[in-house]
Amino acid sequence: MAGATESTLVSEDTTETEAVAAGAVGLAAVLFALSLAAMFELVTITDPIAGVPMVALLGGLLVLLGLAVVGFGVGSRLGYVATDPRPTAGLVASGAFALVWFVVGGLVASQTLGLGTAGWVVASLVTGGAAFAMSALPREDIGSTLPAGALAAFAGIVFLTGVIGPSWVWDLGWEQQASFNAEFTIPVLTGFCSLLVGWAAAKAYGGFGARGRHIGAYVLVYLNALSIIAVLFLLVAFTVLKGLPGLFNGLAFGAGAGPEVTLVGVTFSLPLSWPFVMNGVALLNDVNGVLPAIAGTIWLVIGAVLFAVPLGVGAAVFITEYADRGRFTQVVEVATNGLWSTPSIVFGLFGLAFLVPRLGNQKSLLAGMLTLGFMLLPLVVITSRESMLAVPDEYRDASAALGVTKWQTIRSIVLPAALPGIVTGIILGVGRIAGETAPILLTMSGSVAPPGSQTVDVVGGFQFSLAPPFVTNPELMRATSALPYQLYSLITAGVGQSSNIGAIDEFRWATALILLVVVLGFYAIGIATRYYFRSKLQHE
Amino acid sequence: MSETRQTADDGQTTTDSEPDGVSAGTDQPLEVTSGETRERTRDAWVEHEFEGDAKLSVSDLDVYYGDDHALKGVSMEIPENSVTALIGPSGCGKSTFLRCLNRMNDRIKAASIDGSVRLEGEEIYQEGVNLVELRKRVGMVFQSPNPFPKSIADNISYGPRKHGDLDTGLLANLLGRSDDDAVDELVERSLRQAALWDEVQDRLDDNALGLSGGQQQRLCIARALATDPEVLLMDEPASALDPIATSKIEDLVHDLAEDYTVVIVTHNMQQAARISDQTAVFLTGGELVEYGDTDQVFEDPQSQRVEDYISGKFG
Ligand SMILES: Nc1ncnc2c1ncn2[C@@H]1O[C@H](COP(=O)(O)OP(=O)(O)OP(=O)(O)O)[C@@H](O)[C@H]1O
Ligand SMILES: [Mg+2]
Repeated sequence: MAGATESTLVSEDTTETEAVAAGAVGLAAVLFALSLAAMFELVTITDPIAGVPMVALLGGLLVLLGLAVVGFGVGSRLGYVATDPRPTAGLVASGAFALVWFVVGGLVASQTLGLGTAGWVVASLVTGGAAFAMSALPREDIGSTLPAGALAAFAGIVFLTGVIGPSWVWDLGWEQQASFNAEFTIPVLTGFCSLLVGWAAAKAYGGFGARGRHIGAYVLVYLNALSIIAVLFLLVAFTVLKGLPGLFNGLAFGAGAGPEVTLVGVTFSLPLSWPFVMNGVALLNDVNGVLPAIAGTIWLVIGAVLFAVPLGVGAAVFITEYADRGRFTQVVEVATNGLWSTPSIVFGLFGLAFLVPRLGNQKSLLAGMLTLGFMLLPLVVITSRESMLAVPDEYRDASAALGVTKWQTIRSIVLPAALPGIVTGIILGVGRIAGETAPILLTMSGSVAPPGSQTVDVVGGFQFSLAPPFVTNPELMRATSALPYQLYSLITAGVGQSSNIGAIDEFRWATALILLVVVLGFYAIGIATRYYFRSKLQHE
Repeated sequence: MSETRQTADDGQTTTDSEPDGVSAGTDQPLEVTSGETRERTRDAWVEHEFEGDAKLSVSDLDVYYGDDHALKGVSMEIPENSVTALIGPSGCGKSTFLRCLNRMNDRIKAASIDGSVRLEGEEIYQEGVNLVELRKRVGMVFQSPNPFPKSIADNISYGPRKHGDLDTGLLANLLGRSDDDAVDELVERSLRQAALWDEVQDRLDDNALGLSGGQQQRLCIARALATDPEVLLMDEPASALDPIATSKIEDLVHDLAEDYTVVIVTHNMQQAARISDQTAVFLTGGELVEYGDTDQVFEDPQSQRVEDYISGKFG
């Protein structure tokens, strides 16, 4: 029997079949990448590659791979290839194949053959049942290759014969005239089939059995992770590409090129002029910019963090270290979790109805900071509490046994050990609040396209006096703009067009890019901080 | 020493009515304790006569973990400036007893303590005891090493700095009152005492979690020494050490006994015999069975069960 190979500690050189199987896995990965590229329209499905249209290439590769995988299964079953399969492919794999083939059967019967409900249900049940039987009953080598290979080959033939060709559209016929077109369907089907075949080929490469399953799962997980990273990367790249032209409009270097600034009483010109981040929107500007919104966003985040972090960490210290674990801490826990899931517009309404009337009865930067601070608070409490609970009790015992008070222990042992976790929470929270639009809209929105002169200057805004309240800061009490809000109003209201922004589309994308950069900048700061605190706790 | 006795392996319940070769008291009927020779503990066995003052006196101490009666009516007097060894099989309550002496058991939710412990005549289980002060005077080295995730030097100086004995804060630095030199000296002295200095003198700023298990154990000893307690409770401080480091720790304990009161738990009988002035033997069930001069306990135990335990017949 083919499966009766002895288990060897050191496998010999790669056999030919292994090499072919590895090639099949690689090809499946390439196919998957191609389908991703087609999905994001990096290549169109009608583009000819080496003289062959993309659809035909995808179809051909699918057929080839499908046949190769079936070949492996059959070869292994007949004993031509030395493998170590289990008696069956397992319930999960069989169930998955049954479901896939159920859908395929139903679609073919109802859409291609035009059968009625009874017809397609019967067809679905037949194909689904057959797929289940095919994968559950025979030995693993047949059971996991045949349904997968057949599906890939089937999809390939469908593409090759043009049943689903470049001009294919599936009109769902709903009210919205929703339809699937070939540009979307073909990449999705290809991607799905390539994953299936890749998995089956990887199993074949591992000789089925435990090792085959391990390699199959590994390939699936790996491709999955890669595609997630790829999608993220594409998203960022997309924004960057769209935003770059607007961002660097009018960029100039050289002595005296930039605007004049006054630092410590000395006035000089910056050696860099970057209009988009140094200007506001004004009639006389050559290039308009978003400086007030950038400053607004940065100050918002700083204010919210300064407000929420001490409060949140303090609350977490109290409920973790001082309060007895019981009903009270449970209630606090539920409440904080609930607050964190509260929609931001609700926080915005709270700010509008509660904070704004109490802070000078006008929308202001301070009201925005506090509203976002309230939004950030629950996450800071939750993550601080979690990371303090994760600090081993041995540290607390050791400190107590040295005759150190509880508060000193918390300050010198518990908090430093919990800091990386706390910072992680702040990073996550800042990522959320920095991009919030609704609360800003309700609590601090200034003009949509503010001129550069409206940039908030919180540091310079402090005024000191001898009489109470001693410190005032009108800058904090002023309405200002922030990047997400500006972007939102530029897009929805189309306000920009009526004012003097020229290339409005470029401007929007550049604003989006700046927002991304500001948020990622906060991320970078947070991650660097966390790295610093963590390195102090570890022994490298 | 005496006639044939039943041993731990003897599951039968024959009465041990032979007069014990050692104990002078009258023989009592027996209580059954499975796996061990059955006998009733006698108060006389735990009476230890010594000259000088008692540093710690424990009387009728009971500890429960929930319903689990972990220590049963333990009474003993621990003399000043001496080494007291606690021995006994695993799970008999040695660590529990030790934790009662600086009220670390208070930190265990399930634990309830009944009885009296006096430190120099002052009851520590009464209202209004300042636990921080108590633990400054009664220091402890835990059974499992638990250094802080800080540098080696910071681990040592942690206690004194938090007590305010040494000030290395920013303000002190600015005012020129920083005790940096004193800290360096303290770190070196403590590490030398704990026989760790030679190994770590070049890496005092490295994180203590990077030390080996045995090094961590010695670091914890050094850390406890740095706070200069009057009583030092050590729970198996040499369990992860090689013979050389162990002997250095034993020398340390011996030296400490000049000015300090040391209570040490050990599983190593030879070690107990070597370093202690008096030995307390706990046996399964949380009873203090015998307590007395170390030489007497090891050479001429009054309790049959203790003799069996010491000679390795069970436990
Ligand atoms: N925190 C605790 N909660 C509940 N029960 C405990 C706790 N600590 C100890 N016990 C129980 O108390 C008894 C005595 O434990 P203790 O740790 O004092 O033993 P020990 O003599 O130190 O043993 P070892 O030599 O193995 O360290 C054991 O039965 C143990 O299960
Ligand atoms: Mg113990």
